[in-house]
Amino acid sequence: MAEVEAMNNPYRPHLLRIAAARDETPDVRTLTLRFVDEDDGARFPGWEPGQFGEYTVFGAGECVFALANTSNGEQGTSPVLECTYRAIGKVTAALRGLDIGHVIGFRGPYGNSFPLADWHGRDLVFLGGGIGMAALRAALLSVLEHRSDFGEVLVLNGARTVVDMVYQEEMPAWEKLEGVRVVRTVDPGGETQGWDGEVGLIPEVFERQGLSTDGRIVIACGPPIMLHFLFKSLEKLGYSPQQVITTLENKMKCGFGQCGRCNVGSFYVCRDGPVVSWEQMRALPDDF
Amino acid sequence: MSKPLHVRPAPAESARVTTASGWQPDIVAMVCRWCTYAGADLAGTSRMTYPAAVRLVRFPCTGRMNPLFIIKAFENGADGVLVSGCHPGDCHYVQGNLYARRRFAIFKALMEFVGLDSRRLHFSWVSASEGSKWVNVVEEVTATVRDVGPAKPRGERSAAAFPPEEPASRAPASTEEQETLTRRLRSVAAELLGEGEASVILGYRRGTLPGQVVPGFITSREESEELVWDSHCFNNLSVYLPRLAKQDGKVGAVVKKCDAATVVGLLQEKQLNRDELLLIGVQCAGVWEGKRLAAKCHTCDGQVSSLCDVAVTPEGTSEAAVPAASDPRDAAIAYLESLSPEVRWDYWQKEFGRCIRCYACRAACPLCYCETCISEKHRPQWISPAIDETGNTAWNIIRAFHLAGRCTGCDECARACPAEIRLDLINRKLVQVVEQRFDYRAGIDTEAAPPLTEFRDDDSEEFIL
Amino acid sequence: MQKTGWRLTKSELREWLDRLLRENRRVIAPVDRDGLRYFRPVTSADEVNLDPGKTRWSPKEFLFPRTEPLYTYDLRANGPELHDPPLPEQEQVVVGVRCCDAAGLVRLDEVFLKGKVEDPLYARRRALTTIVAFACAEVEPECFCTAVGGSPMGTEGVDLLVIPFGADWLVRPVTEKGRALAQEAWKAASREAWSLAEEQGQRVAQEIARTPVAKEWAATLEQNFDSPVWKDVAGRCLSCSICAYVCPSCSCFDVHHEGNPWGGREIRCWDACTYALFTLHASGHNPRGGSDARYRQRALHKFSYLAPGEDDVIRCVGCGRCIALCPAGIDIHDAVRRVVASSQEGDAHGRG
Repeated sequence: MAEVEAMNNPYRPHLLRIAAARDETPDVRTLTLRFVDEDDGARFPGWEPGQFGEYTVFGAGECVFALANTSNGEQGTSPVLECTYRAIGKVTAALRGLDIGHVIGFRGPYGNSFPLADWHGRDLVFLGGGIGMAALRAALLSVLEHRSDFGEVLVLNGARTVVDMVYQEEMPAWEKLEGVRVVRTVDPGGETQGWDGEVGLIPEVFERQGLSTDGRIVIACGPPIMLHFLFKSLEKLGYSPQQVITTLENKMKCGFGQCGRCNVGSFYVCRDGPVVSWEQMRALPDDF
Repeated sequence: MSKPLHVRPAPAESARVTTASGWQPDIVAMVCRWCTYAGADLAGTSRMTYPAAVRLVRFPCTGRMNPLFIIKAFENGADGVLVSGCHPGDCHYVQGNLYARRRFAIFKALMEFVGLDSRRLHFSWVSASEGSKWVNVVEEVTATVRDVGPAKPRGERSAAAFPPEEPASRAPASTEEQETLTRRLRSVAAELLGEGEASVILGYRRGTLPGQVVPGFITSREESEELVWDSHCFNNLSVYLPRLAKQDGKVGAVVKKCDAATVVGLLQEKQLNRDELLLIGVQCAGVWEGKRLAAKCHTCDGQVSSLCDVAVTPEGTSEAAVPAASDPRDAAIAYLESLSPEVRWDYWQKEFGRCIRCYACRAACPLCYCETCISEKHRPQWISPAIDETGNTAWNIIRAFHLAGRCTGCDECARACPAEIRLDLINRKLVQVVEQRFDYRAGIDTEAAPPLTEFRDDDSEEFIL
Repeated sequence: MQKTGWRLTKSELREWLDRLLRENRRVIAPVDRDGLRYFRPVTSADEVNLDPGKTRWSPKEFLFPRTEPLYTYDLRANGPELHDPPLPEQEQVVVGVRCCDAAGLVRLDEVFLKGKVEDPLYARRRALTTIVAFACAEVEPECFCTAVGGSPMGTEGVDLLVIPFGADWLVRPVTEKGRALAQEAWKAASREAWSLAEEQGQRVAQEIARTPVAKEWAATLEQNFDSPVWKDVAGRCLSCSICAYVCPSCSCFDVHHEGNPWGGREIRCWDACTYALFTLHASGHNPRGGSDARYRQRALHKFSYLAPGEDDVIRCVGCGRCIALCPAGIDIHDAVRRVVASSQEGDAHGRG
């Protein structure tokens, strides 16, 4: 057989094996993934918080999740990747059916990243609604790993009900760090007996914290309806559009700006996002 | 039929059963669990032997049979397909097989028209106690399929030269008549809108290209002046009715006789309420592309349909069109049916090969109103989005099948198709089958049940083993 | 206009095409078949249709196939084994490409070669392809190349330009790739012939009477994103994808995964922003739920949205096929013209 010419195929996924799986909620799971081929992993470039990947479930298709942990694997070693996803469609349902040891595909890292350097010395607020926390986790962990570079950190994790809250196992470790406060809240009616967290929607719970806006950066991610009301509330509180960061989400296929699908105006979520400031977002057409 | 999606590893030699005569066909048998499956089981426990050519797929009922399953079997390399279930009257679910019987008849006719050798697709009734009948059926089907040979890839055998089309027996309406109709239409629309009897009227207005007429949504008296009527009023405006009927106020629509027949279909299928509509029928002398009268117009008298609320006619300035005796589409169908299955298969594969999967056929069809089309469903993905012979053939067959007994022959699908695929012939073939077998014509009675939604105890089943 | 090149008779032109075929190249040209004219690989120069007018759809499928595998895989005991698709190997010459179609291929280059990632399949196919364009001596009713900066004799994306000239043909090399196909025996065309050809080109161009698309339209269109005129001009869109698929510059695609227990493949196939499913999220949310919102996206992508660092090049090449073939009779040039006009005072519906 003739030699097949080697191709730098941007669509060819890396092969990753599921090393661990943790159920965050009845329909949300966090996976820990390792490269099947350690050499392939050693060559992997690493990623910045905010970037995402295209995950392949062989036989079902591809879907997009944020890279939920910070880049690891010193030069020459194969990193561990984490992602958090909700089983909602064809591919994620198929993924849910896989177990530890199964092999999936991964393409990435794609997209832009959170401007962490701009946050040095500033007080930060991470607001996650539901699975929105997953998009913030890598940035949060990076901040916590370099604690002294940043000011106060407030994490406000909101969910519809108690069982729907993600990262419950991890939050105690976060609040052990100095200057880090974690507030958990559920929607009214979502509390259980003995719930000692807050009850209320994220915008009002945040308002109740009574924090000054001075130099504070708010990083928020959640369902569109939550963001809609949150931005109104932040505006009322006096935050300027440059102080608020979020991530956009759109249906994606290629992940790197070629297939033409994920644009909002001239802004391609996969190429120019997903991280976007409220200021940038306001300039986009109402097409998302 | 065509190359399988992914070639599975060839079975080990020992696993491949060969007979003295050599090649063994691959036949997929789709059987109902209550009767045929049990009958096959009985054949097995009774130690009856029969060719190991069939692979069984078990269904709850033949009524569950979706023609897509049969297409998938052929796509994946089956040389033949057998569908078998309970005898009529014995269905575990009472009537599943009675609906299936009608579906089978139409699907078999469709597949044969598209060029599948009729010896590859079989249906049978085998009961739970008929172990020996099962053996006979399998033997007969295996022998028949072996005669036909392995499913072959498409060849270039076609050189289909249709007989020249009968010229139209009449001419377009005169300019005066068209102008009269235009004037009257404008004044009717202006009045209906002015009196608030309709909040929007679907009609035709000038397009940007010379001679072009396009759909227009007219919402005011002033805009009514933009309505036109001539021999280029092609669009079947009823495609917009379900969408527009959702808004407040009645929707008016300018309809030709063929368009009104489609409105009947939409009413039958409860996509519209009669009291939401104001149908403005126009006496039509046919639609013309250059010197060619559209095939559907040859046998139409162009009179305003009795369904309409308002009639716009030239009155006294012309006579009604005299319909021709024969429909050019029927002559073309007869020609295709005179060809051998292989040549007919090659013809349709060539046609479907040009398909670019733009789904304009679906978009232009008023009766294709599914919120999510079968081609868009992905759990599972029944029809591959790949724009190649496999996906194209499956799409074109299913599109036609989903319109069986419903299509009113407006031919908008064929007119919209940028690849000039003769979709009108496939649709019309099924119109013929439905009329012959079930004495039913679509587009006439708003209270009638479309034929595939019902059955008769005495439906013919001469093709069933 | 550059005034060098050759003059061929019709038979010399056909002889040349036959020679290209003998040299083991794939030659793709307009062919009349089954009631329409479209590009197909030919086996003899006799099959080639050299008449004026466009093919039913553009030749982009010969650089950007309707469907192609991105990788295939086998499922082994220890997991999937992936295979890259074979890189294209055969040289191809696409002959009879109209100048609008050639410009459309340059738009595809922007997407597949100049984006974040260079597409290896497209890049290889592009390198193996020579574009022989045929200038237009006639204008079709839907043509508007001049309104978007093109021309019936334009050289954007062209390697070798062939100009109909009476009973003869003038041939002008635009790139070295094009020049490499020229024959030694060809006779040079006179300066006079080139001048006359240039005048012919101008006469043809003048037959197009469409409002030129001004540079400012890009910004105006985006500013009028919420204009009610979009619903006026596109409310009757039926959400098929004829426009995108016949278009020389549309390049959107779906990435689709198919598999069975033994293996499968990931393929790329044409897709269009006009379909409802294009932007439908798994959650059920659809940013472009109405056909008018989707049509607006297509129009703005063609005339307004620019990539960072991109020139203000309009993506539409003015071939007009979408206008001629749209079942709902929507005219994209007229649509954007009306939105722009409506932004001016006193013309709310943009009818002026």
